[in-house]
Amino acid sequence: MSAVQQRGSLTQIELAGVTGLSPATVSNIVKELTGAGVLHTSPSTRSGRRALQVTLARNLGLVAGVHFGSRSMRVALADASMRVLADQRMPLAPDHRADTGLQRAALLVAEMVASVDAAPDELLAVGVGVPAPVDVRAGSIATVGMMRGWDGVVVPEVLEAELGAPVTVDNDANLGALAETRFGAAVGHDAVAYLRVSHGVGGGLVLGGRVVHGRAGVAGEIGHVTIDENGPVCRCGNRGCLEMYVGAGVLLSMLSESRGHLTLRDVIARAQEGDPGCRRVLFDAGQHLGVAAANLCNLVDPEIVVVGGQLAEAGEALLGPLRTALEQRTVPSTAGPVQVVASELGSAAEVRGALAVALDLARVSGSLGVSA
Amino acid sequence: MSAPVLSLRGVSKNFGGVRALVDVDVDVREHEVLAVVGDNGAGKSTLAGVIAGAFRPDGGEVLLDGAPVVLDSPAAARTHGIAAVFQQLALVDDLDVVENVFLGQETLRGPFLDEIAMEREAWGLLDQLAATVPSVRQPVRTLSGGQRQVVAVARALLGAPRVLVLDEPTAALGVRQTAEVLNLIEKLRERGHAVVLISHQAGDLQAVADRIVVLRLGRVHGEFSGDTSYEDLLAAMTGAVRPARPGGPARAASGPEPRERRAGGTGAVHR
Ligand SMILES: Nc1ncnc2c1ncn2[C@@H]1O[C@H](COP(=O)(O)OP(=O)(O)OP(=O)(O)O)[C@@H](O)[C@H]1O
Ligand SMILES: [Mg+2]
Ligand SMILES: [Zn+2]
Repeated sequence: MSAVQQRGSLTQIELAGVTGLSPATVSNIVKELTGAGVLHTSPSTRSGRRALQVTLARNLGLVAGVHFGSRSMRVALADASMRVLADQRMPLAPDHRADTGLQRAALLVAEMVASVDAAPDELLAVGVGVPAPVDVRAGSIATVGMMRGWDGVVVPEVLEAELGAPVTVDNDANLGALAETRFGAAVGHDAVAYLRVSHGVGGGLVLGGRVVHGRAGVAGEIGHVTIDENGPVCRCGNRGCLEMYVGAGVLLSMLSESRGHLTLRDVIARAQEGDPGCRRVLFDAGQHLGVAAANLCNLVDPEIVVVGGQLAEAGEALLGPLRTALEQRTVPSTAGPVQVVASELGSAAEVRGALAVALDLARVSGSLGVSA
Repeated sequence: MSAPVLSLRGVSKNFGGVRALVDVDVDVREHEVLAVVGDNGAGKSTLAGVIAGAFRPDGGEVLLDGAPVVLDSPAAARTHGIAAVFQQLALVDDLDVVENVFLGQETLRGPFLDEIAMEREAWGLLDQLAATVPSVRQPVRTLSGGQRQVVAVARALLGAPRVLVLDEPTAALGVRQTAEVLNLIEKLRERGHAVVLISHQAGDLQAVADRIVVLRLGRVHGEFSGDTSYEDLLAAMTGAVRPARPGGPARAASGPEPRERRAGGTGAVHR
């Protein structure tokens, strides 16, 4: 059950591989659970061979994922087999506040539930990602001043009152890391480092399939690794953090003198068209990221480094210099340099992670009707 | 920075005794969202009307690529590559999507309109907008608020205008449809259009704007970059900030003078 839930949908043969059960046993269990209305099977032809695709039956309800970015929010709905049924992005003001932001998110979730012809009580759980360290147990941001107007806000309290379903909240890069590990570029890896490079810079670590939170949720905050201890003061209050060198605000202001008001997307598009200034900005950002990632790799020695967030859409223009700087600064290993890849789920990684933790929450709270 | 496509210089417009616009300077650039915000009656729709040829200004001039033009009708504006979606969408409920898109624009297509070509072009425009309209042969009466807005935008996009004016495109929309419209505006900007976005909902404007012009009682009360805080915008909208001189930054009215006065011992002076 939990194998199907975690991956959303997989074939009987894959299911046998994952669970370690024999194909015949899996086939029997699947038949039984399909008869009981818990699983749903459909024929598929994955990689050329005919196979039976196994998913959870849709009547087990819905989960919602909400990702607050610095400049946009994304909301998705999925059924209990992680099949995404609706997905909506909404641009947000630069200093969007918790009260209006959460209210809009709740409205959006409710409208989307209605749009897939579901009743409000079919919503089993909601996962939320925010671009700041989160004390997961408390459900609030674990530091002050990182997101204006969000300090002390208990996200689950607000959303549960609006939506009537249990809510869990985590750092967005942690959710991106989880999603890449379960469904994306890092499937099958045991130690995964994820960098999220967008308006801000975040990071997430997944070890043995579990997100590392640390003492109070600050684990993985690579955006606040010191690059220059005499550097400019960061929004976190420290000096010379990585984010002060590769955050969107900094990159865009480096270009605004000569090129006017650009968005991150504009910079990537122009770099691809050959604009030397935009290429230079991406190159330097890649180098800074590589330096910070090297420190992380020397401590954790992950099997793979996945780079996500909007800036990762620049591809090799960013990843090339990142890899070089990373390799120069990590302890040479007989296993060769660590693999550095672009996110596979792209801009959907965080919201997919939010859906995944929502589904995990629905399972532990028993609302899926079956225990793991 | 690119040269403006369209500029208003010292534009004024009166309706009887009402000074709807007073000495307004505004520049509109391609690949940019210029947002115009202000209270009810601030002159936003009048500004939209001047840009889109619905109102002739009483004073000042309109420059297109730096040269003066007279936009004496929406049709004249369209021939210059300026299109608008007005606050009242002016869709005809009983006509279908295709008929609405081409309504009143037969001149753009010649006298003999080929139904099939029109339908194909309507789908093309809606596809560009990634719009989810069930059928182009459905009366617009049956569409949702967001879908109607998309049809109105599709109509404005006919003939690939350089400048697109959207007056209150998110008013009366649900949050999901508002999201659709904001995504659409980002897409138009990315495709190189100059977008003039008018709203009194500062949050929606801030979400997509490159620059924000604040109108108050018909005057430009400050021009801000898109990432200006809500508090600063609100201060300009409500008049807590003096109008900026063209090109200059806005200044807070509660600057040195009140503080000096307080220091001078008058005590309880609050603005
Ligand atoms: N056609 C008209 N005839 C007479 N007065 C008008 C006309 N159009 C606008 N006005 C007046 O000009 C002023 C500016 O109106 P305008 O519609 O431009 O404001 P607005 O900022 O768009 O307001 P709203 O937020 O309500 O749409 C108002 O006092 C209005 O009453
Ligand atoms: Mg108006
Ligand atoms: Zn910092």
